[in-house]
Amino acid sequence: MKNPKHTKMVLSRETMHLGFVKKVEVLSGSSVRSCFQCGKCSAGCPMRSFMEHPPNRIVRLLQMGQYERVLAGRSIWYCASCETCSTRCPNKIDLAAIMDALRKIAWDAKGPSKESYVQLANRLFIENIRTYGRQYEMRLAAVFNVKSGQFLKDLMLGPKLFSKGKLRMFQAKNRNIAEIEKIFSRIEQMRQKGEAS
Amino acid sequence: MNAARNRLHYAYYPGCSLHASAKEYDISTKGLFGALKIGLKEVPGWFCCGATPAHNVDELLSLSLCAKNLALAEEEKGDLAVACAACFSRLKTAQHELGANDIKRKQVEKAIDGPFPHGKKVKHLLQILAEDYGLEGLGAAVKKPLAGLKVACYYGCLLTRPPGVPQIDDAEAPTIMERVIETTGAETVSWSHRLECCGANFTLSRPGVVLKLTGEILASAQAAGADCIIVGCPLCQGNLDIRQKEIEEARGTRFEMPVFYITQLLGLAAGLSKRALGLDSMVVSPEPLLKRKGLL
Repeated sequence: MKNPKHTKMVLSRETMHLGFVKKVEVLSGSSVRSCFQCGKCSAGCPMRSFMEHPPNRIVRLLQMGQYERVLAGRSIWYCASCETCSTRCPNKIDLAAIMDALRKIAWDAKGPSKESYVQLANRLFIENIRTYGRQYEMRLAAVFNVKSGQFLKDLMLGPKLFSKGKLRMFQAKNRNIAEIEKIFSRIEQMRQKGEAS
Repeated sequence: MNAARNRLHYAYYPGCSLHASAKEYDISTKGLFGALKIGLKEVPGWFCCGATPAHNVDELLSLSLCAKNLALAEEEKGDLAVACAACFSRLKTAQHELGANDIKRKQVEKAIDGPFPHGKKVKHLLQILAEDYGLEGLGAAVKKPLAGLKVACYYGCLLTRPPGVPQIDDAEAPTIMERVIETTGAETVSWSHRLECCGANFTLSRPGVVLKLTGEILASAQAAGADCIIVGCPLCQGNLDIRQKEIEEARGTRFEMPVFYITQLLGLAAGLSKRALGLDSMVVSPEPLLKRKGLL
């Protein structure tokens, strides 16, 4: 039997999935196709050692139509949005914006991903805005630990932070909470009507 | 003191952290601005800018939250003073994106049910201190020079990047923080990691990431001979200070490196008390260092 690793890769108009590349380009406002693989983004990326595909390879995979590997992987969730790549790209590719676009596509599709903790943290953070208006750090950390099954995570930090007055036990709802809810629901309605992506 | 400096007044957007884990940043900002007689009034009913999690997965939500906060800021006179580098980055990004992209602006205006306000200038505290108040004025306000204190200025990611958005200084070779702190007589060190990322909000989801990145930052500051680090971002401070003991355990080294907010050291030089600077809220106590240098 042929080793699948040695199967020839066929590149054609169909396998390039140009439609997906264009979707990312529209969402991010940045070119994907003008990357010539200098690798400067990955050289400066503080998170590359945590990624299975460093930033320049993410772009190459998109160019080659391999977007499913990108969406299912953990790399996009390990991007810290530090903007180093976008700052240094000689072709002015806004890779940080491309990462945002890829996360949005993966998030909306609710597809498989190897990185669930970052997504859970994002979801809880956004829910906090809708419920309280402001971040409630202690609640955020406690709910994250329960939902991720890591009950003991950072347990030792709690008393320390409390003694330093850095944890608020109670948080009043924001006075604009009704307006915040309207922003969330208007965006949902716009998406239902196809007026926004 | 010149007349223009006496009339400075700002609307203030502290950001969520400054009301909890970074309360010493809030305390010392108010203390410093009070000592310099700069007016500061909190935007009524401000709410979360969405920070990284919102723009990570939902740009329209992120832009809308920022746009609404900018609309609320219109109610308060003066430019908008922002303390947190992450909030600053999001608010500036919203202005940048919505100023350049009509489609996004129309969507956001629909989401917030009102016009996007263009007028408000958004400024990080550092800009207010360096440009509006001026280095000369800062120097004149020094009552207790920080001579002999070696400071590593840590910018992190979002104060200066990406180019053209924050417009605070050069994206890759900024000097604003050094210029501001040198007015106190403190010495700044030249070091490699001043623009590297601390891992920011991975502190919740993947603390291991933060331990690695901050460990390298602390080691770099220590190797450059710094006594302490200064920051202008509550995420940077939290990761470098609150997690420092864990970082030391993970690396098997000792740093004992106090991580100050820039407002704390400026306030110390301006003669503010320990309490007015919130020094007791720092996890790595700055007292041994400050006593050794005769500053406390």
